Amino acid sequence: MDRPPVIRPLAVLWKGLLLFLILNLLTAAFPLDGLGRVSLYNRVFPGRERLPFGENPAQSYNLSLFDLDAMFASHVIAGGEKPAEEYRIILIGDSSVWGTLLRPEETLAGRLNAAHLTLCGREARVYNLGYPSLSLTKDLLLLDYAMRYDPDLVLWLTTLEAFPLDVQLTAPIVAHNAPRAQALIARYRLPFDPADPALARSTFWNRTLVGQRRALADLLRLQMYGVLWAATGIDQAYPPDYPALQVDLEADLSFHGLQPPALRETDLAFEVLDAGFRAAGETPVLLVNEPMFLSRGENSDLRYNFFYPRWAYDDYRRLLGERAERSGWNYLDLWNLLPDSVHYTNSAIHLTPQAEAVLAERLVEAILQSPCP
Amino acid sequence: MTLTSILILAGLAAGLGILARGRWRLPLLLSVSALTVYALQPALPIRFLDFWLPTVTLGLVVLGWALTAPPEQRAWRANWPAAAILAGVVLLLGSSRLLGLDLPAVGRPPRPDSLLLFAAAVAGLAFFFSRSVRRSRLWLALGVIFLLTLFVFLKYPPLTAALSAWLRLWNGQSPALASALDIRWLGFSYLAFRLLHTFRDRQSGRLPPVSLAEYAVYAVFFPALTAGPIDRLERFVADLHRPRPLDSQGWLEAGKRLTLGLFKKFVLADTLALIALGPVNALQVHSPGWTWVLLYAYSLQLYFDFAGYTDMAIGLGRLMGIQLPENFNAPYLKPNLTQFWNNWHMTLTQWIRAYVFNPLTRALRASNRSIPAAIIILAGQLSTMLLIGLWHGITWNFALWGLWHALGLFVHNRWSEWTRPRLAALSGVRRRLLDLGGVVLTFHYVTLGWVWFALPDPLTSWQVFLKLMGAG
Amino acid sequence: MSDEVITKLAEYIAAEILKQPGRVLDPDESLLTSGLIDSFHLVDLALFVEDNFGVHLDDAELNASVFDSLNQLADLIRSRQ
Repeated sequence: MDRPPVIRPLAVLWKGLLLFLILNLLTAAFPLDGLGRVSLYNRVFPGRERLPFGENPAQSYNLSLFDLDAMFASHVIAGGEKPAEEYRIILIGDSSVWGTLLRPEETLAGRLNAAHLTLCGREARVYNLGYPSLSLTKDLLLLDYAMRYDPDLVLWLTTLEAFPLDVQLTAPIVAHNAPRAQALIARYRLPFDPADPALARSTFWNRTLVGQRRALADLLRLQMYGVLWAATGIDQAYPPDYPALQVDLEADLSFHGLQPPALRETDLAFEVLDAGFRAAGETPVLLVNEPMFLSRGENSDLRYNFFYPRWAYDDYRRLLGERAERSGWNYLDLWNLLPDSVHYTNSAIHLTPQAEAVLAERLVEAILQSPCP
Repeated sequence: MTLTSILILAGLAAGLGILARGRWRLPLLLSVSALTVYALQPALPIRFLDFWLPTVTLGLVVLGWALTAPPEQRAWRANWPAAAILAGVVLLLGSSRLLGLDLPAVGRPPRPDSLLLFAAAVAGLAFFFSRSVRRSRLWLALGVIFLLTLFVFLKYPPLTAALSAWLRLWNGQSPALASALDIRWLGFSYLAFRLLHTFRDRQSGRLPPVSLAEYAVYAVFFPALTAGPIDRLERFVADLHRPRPLDSQGWLEAGKRLTLGLFKKFVLADTLALIALGPVNALQVHSPGWTWVLLYAYSLQLYFDFAGYTDMAIGLGRLMGIQLPENFNAPYLKPNLTQFWNNWHMTLTQWIRAYVFNPLTRALRASNRSIPAAIIILAGQLSTMLLIGLWHGITWNFALWGLWHALGLFVHNRWSEWTRPRLAALSGVRRRLLDLGGVVLTFHYVTLGWVWFALPDPLTSWQVFLKLMGAG
Repeated sequence: MSDEVITKLAEYIAAEILKQPGRVLDPDESLLTSGLIDSFHLVDLALFVEDNFGVHLDDAELNASVFDSLNQLADLIRSRQ
């Protein structure tokens, strides 16, 4: 008679450990890139109206992760082939474009879509590809990725905070996408060091399964939160109250370590802006200096708002205007379109839903003048 | 409990399984269990409370033993080591600050003299109980009443908040911030039911004589401290006397249960928890289909969470040679509600059956045979299920949840009485189809019941019911 | 002797609890975990055992871990007679 096989616990243990080790070596040798493209969004769940970002996932049903494939795969822009009758506009920018404290339909993209524009005989459809951090290189990274979705027009909103050299590579999404950032530095000969310590280095260890556990868990969580996004349409936490916009200002004249009297062109990352235009290729780009709050409170003779001393911002506007002129960029300076505090929520660049509608109205005029292919 | 604390407990359990043998076994199990009562108690905003609650837990255990032990078990010679261990744990942890130690997982102890006073009071009461043999029935009855009253205070939010306000005032803290969440007493629900079981069995004369060490290890056995199972003293002590050997089979069984439990809790339940129905998303969800998805997620999350903890407890117990009872046996795959309740949180339902349902039904059945069976069944189901509901907390929602199940059980009982002779001939495919239909129906009845359980007030639950039906 | 106990129990269960007087119960068949006998009828069964065999089954003993089949119940009864 056959006796049941004897199972020895130590054998189970070491075989298990060995399998685990082999699995880790395999994932280190053959990285799981592209796993992020596997997504339930646009299939089981509707695509997200903006890129995943969230510091408080339990309330926002959204989370911050660094896998661009997964981020875009969850976005409604990845929902299939572009229809022939669609005129595709993508919005690039910071949290003011992404829409902090705004519901998807209240953001700039939402307002522009509500205008139901017809361009070149096609229906305009606007996609919100803004992302909450201030860095032109972050904008370039997302724009470069987004070009595969074949936009007809790029609307790039920006502000001085995205220009200083010290913020370019430190935005988390850039820092955690080192290979992509290094490729951009090489391709566009950007004045940054590819070995900059801000860029997270890929080591053998963090390519193993154990090293990637956080990233893998994030992919899973992004899919799980798809259920709540689909069920509720909520993609950020809307606190009942938040610290108000700062009106009275510090008497501080420095800007990112720079002192008056003047900003030089080399203090700002114009090369990244230029790279963005080149990345867009034939696709027209409309560059917008975004509106901001102009304080009349304490020390407003020295500063415009929490972000900017007057001297630095004035210089920036002048330099950007000159550079746009020189490079033939299609540029719109809307810095003082919405000067009052009533237009802003919790920061000098976060517009209220009503102010977004005003901005959208102003941008529609400019969009309608875009050339047809 | 966090993954880290479970891994530490697993290491401790394995260490005890290997090293704690012979006469060292019981004292070591007792020491580790008593220390764990402190280590697992969550931090609380009321000063010193997170040290006092574990201390009171140990005090209640000593008094419980003194009340239930028969005179021949009370010999000081046999029990002083256990008493010394318990007092030693309390006083050692209590004086840790004086010794310059800042123990990471233990709450801030009050002044050692108050602990000494407490220990003396417990010892005095225990001595009194053991001398007062002739009045023991009275003291047992008072013990039952005391535990039930304490239970009500901790489970009825307004009373808990009042207790919190009183404790804050007594401590010189502001009572304005008092909330029912201030008094989270780790493991009390399970402890109370273990002690009540020993009191009742002592009253009926069925309780086996046990030493203080055995009684205390049973009451606060660390694998079962936070999430059960409840177990019965006679069964537990039998394992204490004759531990299952930690041989190959033992390691395999324990390893399997632990791995399974970790997987259920930290992979399945915690992932489902991200999307499970809750008081906030219940109001945000805007379509019936997705409301069902959130509800299914809650239903499965609750099961995997609880069953996962039970698996871990059984695995940890097995490492130390103790076979804790099963708490779940595939409850969601049962063909009717009666079967569901035979396989869901089994140790709690068995407890309630033993001490509420059976005595009640027996009394009604035996005393007056003219009461129709249906009435007796309804009374039994209502009292049982309401109690199980209120065990989770004395709120309208838990009561409605209990009512939901009582009515479900009653209807199933009447239905099966009527169909049993008629469907007896059914076999083969038809029987299996009927069972499958039953499984689906039962799962949905239970899952809909969770709408009461998951949400804080009946109005929200009602809104969710409307949403589920497409009428929200 | 034990056969007599089992026969008597089996007849009672088939006729009074299952309402199928003709049904033959296997002495090792699971009664409780299978759901054949519910908690209410279990109390009736305990009263029947008390009346007919003079053996008291405690409330806490009425569960599957104490007895689940006719054989186990008969053993329990015999051990107390």
